[in-house]
Amino acid sequence: MGDRPSRSRRSSALLVAGVWGAIAAAGFGAALLALLISVATQGDECGSSGPSRASALGSPGGVELGPPGTAQLVGATEYGGPGDPSSGTIGAAGVNLLAHPDSYAELGGYTFQSATAMGGLPYMTPLRVTWGARSAIGYKRDFGSGGGPVDGLPRAIDLWWQFADALGIPYEDGSWSGPVRISRPPLTGSANLLGQSAAPDPALLTPPTGSQDPASCEPGAPTGVPLTAGQRARLLPDGLAAAPSDAPLAVREMIAAGDQIVGKPYLYGGGHGLPLSEIAPAYDCSSGVEHLLYGGGLLAANFGAASGTLESFGKPGAGRWVTLYANPDHVFMYVAGLRWDTHDAAGPGDGSSGIGWHPLIRSAAGFVARHPVGL
Amino acid sequence: MITPRLGMTISVLALAACGLSAGCGVTAAPRTPRPPPSRVERAQVTHEYPSPSPPRQAVAGAWRSPITAVEAFANDYINWTFRSVSADMRELAARSIGQARAATQLAAAQTANDYELQRGGIANTGTVEVDAPLSASVDEYVVVTRELTTASATTAYQGLQPAWHVAIATVTQVSRGWWVVSGWQPQS
Repeated sequence: MGDRPSRSRRSSALLVAGVWGAIAAAGFGAALLALLISVATQGDECGSSGPSRASALGSPGGVELGPPGTAQLVGATEYGGPGDPSSGTIGAAGVNLLAHPDSYAELGGYTFQSATAMGGLPYMTPLRVTWGARSAIGYKRDFGSGGGPVDGLPRAIDLWWQFADALGIPYEDGSWSGPVRISRPPLTGSANLLGQSAAPDPALLTPPTGSQDPASCEPGAPTGVPLTAGQRARLLPDGLAAAPSDAPLAVREMIAAGDQIVGKPYLYGGGHGLPLSEIAPAYDCSSGVEHLLYGGGLLAANFGAASGTLESFGKPGAGRWVTLYANPDHVFMYVAGLRWDTHDAAGPGDGSSGIGWHPLIRSAAGFVARHPVGL
Repeated sequence: MITPRLGMTISVLALAACGLSAGCGVTAAPRTPRPPPSRVERAQVTHEYPSPSPPRQAVAGAWRSPITAVEAFANDYINWTFRSVSADMRELAARSIGQARAATQLAAAQTANDYELQRGGIANTGTVEVDAPLSASVDEYVVVTRELTTASATTAYQGLQPAWHVAIATVTQVSRGWWVVSGWQPQS
């Protein structure tokens, strides 16, 4: 953080120092109560199955940004400039904001981690901000504590005064406030435009509903997937799998994706031709595996190759968390020690014979072992 | 002088060495080679009828080193316009194998009549800033590019700065001293 924090952080720090003692006891009690309620209701809210992408990027209690191009009206303020010397010119990450006039701060907290009024956008996230008929792209380089609503709208964004000026907002010595429209710009770069990036596509995010708020689940837990302690997935009596709590988020999301299609019938060619983001009526070996890989953010939604193509997926050999076994005829895989497969090849007692999780290992002779990079 | 105890020790060691090297007079019983299971037999186990292995992929061009193969692939992957993208990806598919070919073939097919790209007049330009081998991997490279997306018929990209992107490339030696890209996995 720079030696001259921006105005919203400095002024709010003074305010907080004044009232902190008075509210500390009440705050502690309220936090304890909220924690108890959260724990008591966690089972209900995490119990339903559904797409898991939103959980990783959701906005706990703040403005929920939609897919690119979807504008949203929020409360905004401005900071910095000659009329607001207390804000200084150095952003929270130490950059000179005068050299980066297209800057904004996300409000709602006292650190980059806690200022999440727009969901906790990563540093340098571009946003299109529109005021009246003018719009411009700004980049997140700062945070601020925020405050009460602006014109009845949640106060979400603090515009660096030069950025506000570019939008035509009148400079009021850093005290202007009003509504602006914000939206994600479209994804850029060849891989994103061609739909081949492994990064989550904001267009596919589904905002959490009130009864299914991921903030009430374990931090980073995919919505709906049951968790089990340790590093190995566990097969549940209903055929679903519980994800290991120690596994990386991508692994837990793969298990959540698997749970979405457990029990679907096997059909040669099934699931191909549909985007992986959709649930098909039936799957074959490769489309089933690809649905899980997509769930973990490891494949684009439009990927749809046969099992032989997966012989060159990722890196060779077994992975720490995920291993695919592929040949031109078939593909199956292990996710956190649990086999995802289409048939009952391990013999009697192997479990269900459809698409799903299987309790026993099977021979991997004749298959090529591959694993996702980093997993 | 060889004492009885030393002689016994030498005998035991010699016998053990014989056993390990297999074939010092101890012959294994002849085994009848078991014929490989037929396709139908395999299908009865796996419930899927095996298909023949795909033919070896022919490649239209190769490079003298892995790094030049990766750099050439990356440069062509990130520099295109809505008019050229389908042909560019088709050409990349011809000059790559494996997953990289599958990915670029898919991109070529999907962009041939992509309404959004055409309507927006989208173009992507960029430079390869870094390509370096991944540690502990002889055939994988991390590629960092800096790309700018523009549009001639929409304001959606107006004001956006060039952005960093990362991909993991895998290379394969197709003949002695000639390399092509066999895997292309963009991360961002």
